[in-house]
Amino acid sequence: MLSLLSSLLSLLFVFLISFFIITSHFSFPLSLLKLLGFIKFTASRDDDDNYKRDEGTYVVGEEELQRELMPRHVAVIMDGNRRWAKREGLLTSQGHEAGAKRLIEFSELCFKLGIHTVSAFAFSTENWGRHKIEVKCLMSLIQHYLKSKIQYFQREETRVSIIGNLTKIPESLRQTIHEIEEATKSYKKKHLILAIDYSGRLDILRACKSIVHKSEAGLIRKEDVDEAMIERELLTSCTEFSSPDLLIRTSGEQRISNFFLWQLAYTELFFSSVLWPDFDKDKLVEALVSYQRRERRFGCRV
Amino acid sequence: MDLNQSMRLLSSWIAQIGGLGLDLLWRFIHLVVSLWYIVSGIIEAVESYAISLGLNKKYSSINIEKLRCLAVVVDIEEARDVSKVIELLQWLRTIGVKQVGLFDSQGLLKKSKDLILGTVPGSVLSEEIGEKDSSPEQNPLALEFISSSDNKEAVMKAANILLQDYLKSSRPENDKGENFFTETHLNEALRVVGENVHAPDLLLVYGPIRSHLGFPAWRLRYTEIVHMGSLNYMRYGSLLKAIHKFTGVHQNYGT
Repeated sequence: MLSLLSSLLSLLFVFLISFFIITSHFSFPLSLLKLLGFIKFTASRDDDDNYKRDEGTYVVGEEELQRELMPRHVAVIMDGNRRWAKREGLLTSQGHEAGAKRLIEFSELCFKLGIHTVSAFAFSTENWGRHKIEVKCLMSLIQHYLKSKIQYFQREETRVSIIGNLTKIPESLRQTIHEIEEATKSYKKKHLILAIDYSGRLDILRACKSIVHKSEAGLIRKEDVDEAMIERELLTSCTEFSSPDLLIRTSGEQRISNFFLWQLAYTELFFSSVLWPDFDKDKLVEALVSYQRRERRFGCRV
Repeated sequence: MDLNQSMRLLSSWIAQIGGLGLDLLWRFIHLVVSLWYIVSGIIEAVESYAISLGLNKKYSSINIEKLRCLAVVVDIEEARDVSKVIELLQWLRTIGVKQVGLFDSQGLLKKSKDLILGTVPGSVLSEEIGEKDSSPEQNPLALEFISSSDNKEAVMKAANILLQDYLKSSRPENDKGENFFTETHLNEALRVVGENVHAPDLLLVYGPIRSHLGFPAWRLRYTEIVHMGSLNYMRYGSLLKAIHKFTGVHQNYGT
């Protein structure tokens, strides 16, 4: 029986190799290794689980995630809350609430997988142009979630930072932000960054202004201004890994929308067609697998 | 004892057969998924060739006016094959694109500028478009060559210009520069440095990695980004499809 099965597997192998040769002229997301991985001659089998893995790898579904290849900083543009609410027959506010819940789950999963920093584009400067009621609702939602999750973040030892132009947000929200940042500032292993009233261009401008003030105060000379100095003055300097390794944008839109313009130079961009409240663990793993398969050269020839 | 031994042997056989069955099922699922990818890849290739041959009426007319400026990012390994880049530019000209920015991180395409301009018919440098009153070509293809030095280094130089201007200017003591450091001022400073601040509507990325590889960040605010795969496997149909898809995109710009 085993020899019959082996013959069958051999035939399958020949069949697949022929397919691969024919389709090698086309640019398919398929590799020879993946094909060969299908055929595993099981001459000897263990009583243990077939999928023996080395320490430090995660098996999720059919894909492996390797800890050493995990991105250090994952950024996400949480797009699609309103469309999700419309599809589900709910109010826009309920869509944003579902989005907030999804962010908590997303960041929890990222930290469990060993990712150090997670940053999320919660509210852009351009969003002030939305309907006043929606904006008010968003501000209340953010405040409610931050206030109610202080103990959770302390328990999880997660540092929370909020970046953006925080002058236009309600005073109560500003106080809550101050509270949560103070309560979690000592934690080093996990960092959640929320970008509220954030604009990539204004971040660069703000960095330039900060340099000017330092120069006026005699702290730096004109000739000291370089790329590294500008990077240190950006709002993302609150984290050790200021440039995201992976950016995920949901809902099918394929643009950065003024988020982290400077920081995204060599970031892997993953555009998912799924709406943000539906972006679950499987979709995150898909994004991480896609990231781990890429060969990033950072503009240099390796 | 014999009965126990028989039972143990039987359960061992059942476990082995069950395990083998599950393993085969797992491989079968892999096979189905891979066949799905193969079939969808074949369909995509056939669709692309059909579009190239003009068989698909949907792509026969594109509202190209919506695409004022297109940028192309090429991976440095693929930028070494300039012939592919030239072919791509010829396709873009056929489609009716008027302005193209070519980017690679190390400036290889900048070095091949003369070759590209000499080979692609009707192509001129975008800087020269305004200078000449009448171009010999009725619909010239304006080309711009960009590299990483036009990204962060350019912003740094522009920041230095703003700093110098701010320090030289006479202003009230409590002026924190709120009216001095605006997007308009940085745009102007970038122009002084010699940079184009015009934002592309669509960015096509050719290479193994889905990243813009250091394209000038200041210009990418609302740019649609499409990963096209390797330049070696580029297809006219895929290019047309990406541009057609862009013309159907609606942006809220955050509102």
